[in-house]
Amino acid sequence: MKSIASNISSWFTSLLKVWRREFRLVFSDVGVMLFFFFLPLIYPLIYTLIYNTENVKDIPIVVVDESRTPESRTLSRMLDATEGIKVFDYASNLRDARTMMNEHECYGILQIPGDYAKKIGRGTQSVATFYSDMGLLLRYRSFVSALTDVQLALGTDIQQKELALIGLPAQSVSGAPVNSQAIMLGDPTQGFASFIIPGILVLIIQQSMVLGVTMLIGGHKERRRRNGGVDPLAVKASPSATILGKMLCYVTIYIPILFYIINIVPEIFTLPHIGELGDYIIFLIPLLIASAFFGMTLGVLVKERESSMMVVVFTSVVFLFLSGLTWPRYAMNWLWTAVSDIIPVTWGVEGFIRLNSNGSTLHEQSFSWMMLWILSGAYMILAYLVTRFDYKRKLQPQSVKN
Amino acid sequence: MRGCRELLSRRIYLVCLVAVPVLFTLFFINMMDSGLPLKVPTAVVDLDQSSLSRQITRNLASSELVSIDQKLESYHEAVDMVRKGDIFGFFMIPENFQRDAIGGRTPTITYYCNMTVFVPGTLSFKGFKTTAVTTAGGLVQTTLVNAGLPESTAGSLISPVSIQQNAIGNPWMNYNYYLTNSFVPGLIELIVMLVAAFSICDEIKRHTSRQTLRASGGSILVAIFGKLLPQTIIAIAVGVLCQSLMFGFNHFPLNNHLSHIIIAMALMVIAAQAFAVTVCCAIPNLRMALSICSLVGILAFSIAAFSYPVEQMYPSIGIFSYILPVRYYFLIYIDQALNGIPIYFSRFYYIALLVFPLVALIGLPRLKKHYLNPVYVP
Repeated sequence: MKSIASNISSWFTSLLKVWRREFRLVFSDVGVMLFFFFLPLIYPLIYTLIYNTENVKDIPIVVVDESRTPESRTLSRMLDATEGIKVFDYASNLRDARTMMNEHECYGILQIPGDYAKKIGRGTQSVATFYSDMGLLLRYRSFVSALTDVQLALGTDIQQKELALIGLPAQSVSGAPVNSQAIMLGDPTQGFASFIIPGILVLIIQQSMVLGVTMLIGGHKERRRRNGGVDPLAVKASPSATILGKMLCYVTIYIPILFYIINIVPEIFTLPHIGELGDYIIFLIPLLIASAFFGMTLGVLVKERESSMMVVVFTSVVFLFLSGLTWPRYAMNWLWTAVSDIIPVTWGVEGFIRLNSNGSTLHEQSFSWMMLWILSGAYMILAYLVTRFDYKRKLQPQSVKN
Repeated sequence: MRGCRELLSRRIYLVCLVAVPVLFTLFFINMMDSGLPLKVPTAVVDLDQSSLSRQITRNLASSELVSIDQKLESYHEAVDMVRKGDIFGFFMIPENFQRDAIGGRTPTITYYCNMTVFVPGTLSFKGFKTTAVTTAGGLVQTTLVNAGLPESTAGSLISPVSIQQNAIGNPWMNYNYYLTNSFVPGLIELIVMLVAAFSICDEIKRHTSRQTLRASGGSILVAIFGKLLPQTIIAIAVGVLCQSLMFGFNHFPLNNHLSHIIIAMALMVIAAQAFAVTVCCAIPNLRMALSICSLVGILAFSIAAFSYPVEQMYPSIGIFSYILPVRYYFLIYIDQALNGIPIYFSRFYYIALLVFPLVALIGLPRLKKHYLNPVYVP
């Protein structure tokens, strides 16, 4: 009985020792500090600055006006006045306009046919044609919304005049018999930064931690290789105490970073930020734990300090996609849904966006939260197995090849 | 020949250079094979329950953009479902809608789209807006015909002006054409830079750089060239393989000659290597060089403006897009493959890619000094 108690207490002491030692290792390693502090500090700022102009405005287009009437000029003026479009120039024919587009001077061509005004006067539908460069979908999106708005506004205007001419009381069909109103939830300005940054923030938390953790493991393996299989800086502890102690160290370091990333960064740039701070922290703590164990598991692929970057860096892009931020998860097939299910950040991004931008409560995100805890458990077991396997393996000092 | 042996001796190089880009291409193509995530899960909140409101619901359900998964009773229920993430938007028909619409009291249809996820938000917005506008149009037509106008006049009165929109090169609005064609070269650039920087600076870490220089007869140019050439060949081969997966097997638009885009890929690989060499010349430290290459490589996905246009960014940020090889590759792709315009209009992009190796040449003497006196900083 006594031996069990002493075993437990010695396990705890070793855990605390690992915790303390890991702190020293982190703070004496510039490379790891770069990942743990510099990267989460700077990346969110750079990313937000890239997208901080939010909306795509005043895209240059060229007008080919074959009608040359007050009506056709009204159309181009109205387009010019929209948020999305700027009339950059007029061209005398479609060929010239096309050349300007090829020279990348404009991204759209509006062709107003010769009978444009005549048809309006006659009371038949007149059709103008817009050619859009499809180099970027966001430009096209701005074009479409501007064109639709102008078409509706112009249409209503002409309709009213025509009806007055016919002699119908305009009241009976005043504009539209039904109004419609669009309300954008979560990102009311439809800005690009407001949409993408909350997700990127969570991704940065996981990836910076995984980078740091794998680099520490790489350094540990290098030291073992140099010292005949023993790491002089390691604390003697069982695998379970080692992984738990390390995890505690990383999570402690990341709590202030978490606060900065999820609370201060959105405030700096006035991004959508309507959730409760307490909810964010409670929600993301299992993400920190899961990321720490995820990093330790990935450590099996890393043999030296610097190769951690080769292994981890490109996964950021994959994880970003798997999280469903750009390509929604409902449209993935079963394989990719399953793969994204086992990445902690998927659940972190999903839940955090809804807490942060949609003002959801923690209770409504209980499924994501539970998944984060399940993944923490799963990666803890994997990290344990990996560490135990690694303890048993003898690392030979590597000979320098010539 | 040293480069070849080194390349083969370390598994990490081959895995990174070959397996990752190819798997990545397959991942993208497979994940987004539908082109657009149509049938966004949405809901209808029908507070009217009249024949007209049911008609609108049926119209919505027949749209390819949205799928009406739920018919809900109240606004609160719908907002809760948005927060839970079950639906990306909902369409609300107010009480007494039919009565007010016919009686000329102008009821208001409201639709809500969750823009925290851009693509489904935008698609649901488009689907809802179309339905709202056509509903209004239909009602106007009915009123006009009732007032005694001939049906054809009433029809043209509903939309007297129409602007026909032609999406040149991508009339299907296929999202995949952009994502795969920007992220795959972006990834190839990232990996080529990392592998090049790793192989150059690893020599300094392991103190083998002097032997390398001796083998090349003291010429740093020969040493670096010999080291990188096998990587160049493999990376270009892999790049072309990825292109063949996209343009060949999956019939992505390629409206100009195949060689234009292959040359662009080859030049981009060389430019990326040159970029890595430049970084190594400036900071001949394995960890820092790799950090900078990954920083640049990862930020390239955003700054190179695959989705958000450069001219809209702050100029002080947007200017960085000009130092990224993949930016020029993407512009060449848009011009040559998607739009298929004469290569003359893309000339500057090709020239820009050729500038990168020249810059690298300037830095080489500095690298030679470090190769002669290798110092490893952990």
